[in-house]
Amino acid sequence: MKRGGGWFRFAFLAPAMGLYGLLFLYPVAQAFFMSLFNWSGLSDNREYVGLKNFQDLAKDKIFVGAIQHNLIIFVGCGIAVLLIAIVVAHLLQGNGRLTKALRASYLLPHMVSMVIVAVMWRFIFNPTLGPVTIIAKALGVKDPPAWLGDTKTALLCVMVAFIWYGFCFYSMLFAAGIKGIPEEIYEAADLDGVRPWQRFRQITWPLLWSIKRMTLTHVAIATMNMFALVQLMTAGGPNRSSEVMLTYLYETGFSNSDFGYATALATVNLVVVLAVAGVINFIYRRNPSGGRDS
Amino acid sequence: MKLTRATLTWLFLAIVILPFVWIVFNSFKPGNEIISHPWSLPKSPNFANYVNAWTKSEFSKYFVNSLVTVIMTLAILIPISAMASYVLAKFPFRGSKLILSGFSAGMIVPQFLAIVPLFMLAQMLHLYNTQLGLILIYVAFSLPFTVFVLFGFFQILPDELIESASVDGASHAQTFWRVMLPLAKPGLLVALIFNIIGLWNEYSLALVLISDTDKYTMPVGMGRIMMTQQYQGDWGALFAGMVIVMVPLMIVYFVFREKIQQTMVAGAVKG
Repeated sequence: MKRGGGWFRFAFLAPAMGLYGLLFLYPVAQAFFMSLFNWSGLSDNREYVGLKNFQDLAKDKIFVGAIQHNLIIFVGCGIAVLLIAIVVAHLLQGNGRLTKALRASYLLPHMVSMVIVAVMWRFIFNPTLGPVTIIAKALGVKDPPAWLGDTKTALLCVMVAFIWYGFCFYSMLFAAGIKGIPEEIYEAADLDGVRPWQRFRQITWPLLWSIKRMTLTHVAIATMNMFALVQLMTAGGPNRSSEVMLTYLYETGFSNSDFGYATALATVNLVVVLAVAGVINFIYRRNPSGGRDS
Repeated sequence: MKLTRATLTWLFLAIVILPFVWIVFNSFKPGNEIISHPWSLPKSPNFANYVNAWTKSEFSKYFVNSLVTVIMTLAILIPISAMASYVLAKFPFRGSKLILSGFSAGMIVPQFLAIVPLFMLAQMLHLYNTQLGLILIYVAFSLPFTVFVLFGFFQILPDELIESASVDGASHAQTFWRVMLPLAKPGLLVALIFNIIGLWNEYSLALVLISDTDKYTMPVGMGRIMMTQQYQGDWGALFAGMVIVMVPLMIVYFVFREKIQQTMVAGAVKG
């Protein structure tokens, strides 16, 4: 490309870089800095406390509970999504009218706002008129729990809502992954007389390793950064039984104006996200068939 | 085998569709009918809920706020992202790779990492609780994805086009606006669709940066109505409100379904 045009380069880059730097990169960088201070309210009163906020977080029962809830949500949703997505991905492969209807609509949940998902599922889990309660009663459960209002079930309900929102997207990835497996492998297996279930166990499932990695990484990021769904379904309750990192961050930052503590929490949140994503990518670091060769 | 396949397909179709159908049905029922017959078809469809949602619950205000915010964000975001990604793709210089990774890094950084400092910064700059502030912050937060997408599209356009335009005496800016930008239309469309979906649904930033209920966007207004409605019992308006929020997205989805699916797959596989 021809040289010159320095002024044009600057003029074209400046608006995007300026806004991004000021309103994104600068606050991100500040988050790390602010986490070292005791900073409350809107006053300029701030006191350098070093790593005290982080030490307090480690001792904070609510926060430790919140991380545990995030991890439970991740593991539960991760497993459920893998199982559901592989089934739906197979269903999407056909060309019948029913398959086409599914293919036309299955991404709908992923289009709507988390707010809608939350409001919708609040109604579905409503203890008096919600379908879940009505079905439970019809099935003979005498005293169904209050679902979102019960410490034992609240977290589970949030997970169900998240799975409903997410499974379609991951099904799409799996469907694309299955399409990407070369036909010849299946043909060779057919010649060897491999039965369908074996075919799935030994070919399809292992060859989808990179899709599984992608899916689990994506679910990890989404569940560790869950906010709107929990806030609007349970607000972290009852009795903090569904509290997650970001609902607690919102509370400390914007209800209690404890800014230093909230940014320390945000930093820990980032570390947890990176750690979980790192573990997933380590587990799925290479192609299992390539591993067998070497 | 065939039977189970059909059954499963029906099952998943039902799981996807039924909650939406249920919302639409209930949006046509009076509040007491929702409570007495939450499952049935509306006895006589009435539009009172929609009128209530639009007037009493002030959905119209939220709707207009959202519409203005999304349109203004896009009006700033798309041109400045296109300009930046054009330079990064076609006129690389020392440090341009670094700038590109700086933008891309924004896609992995969780929004909430920035949210508390952003809240304070917005107050300092007098952008807190203003629509302009929300718009500018939306632009900043949408830049990583948008630059990433448009960079890819500009990169595959042949360099010869720029050379021949410059031989014809066009300035860099003219080449960009008249030749390259029209050719990048497929990329612009992808950026537009995904930003519309993301911005129309955005909740956390709007919740934190807007305090005045008159300035709420749809998702935040929706959340507020749900919280307050609990005590008033007018659920019909809430259901109608949900339909109002969803309709624009349903339209975008059904018009661009193929493109959305292709891009989502491509994006996930690359990323």
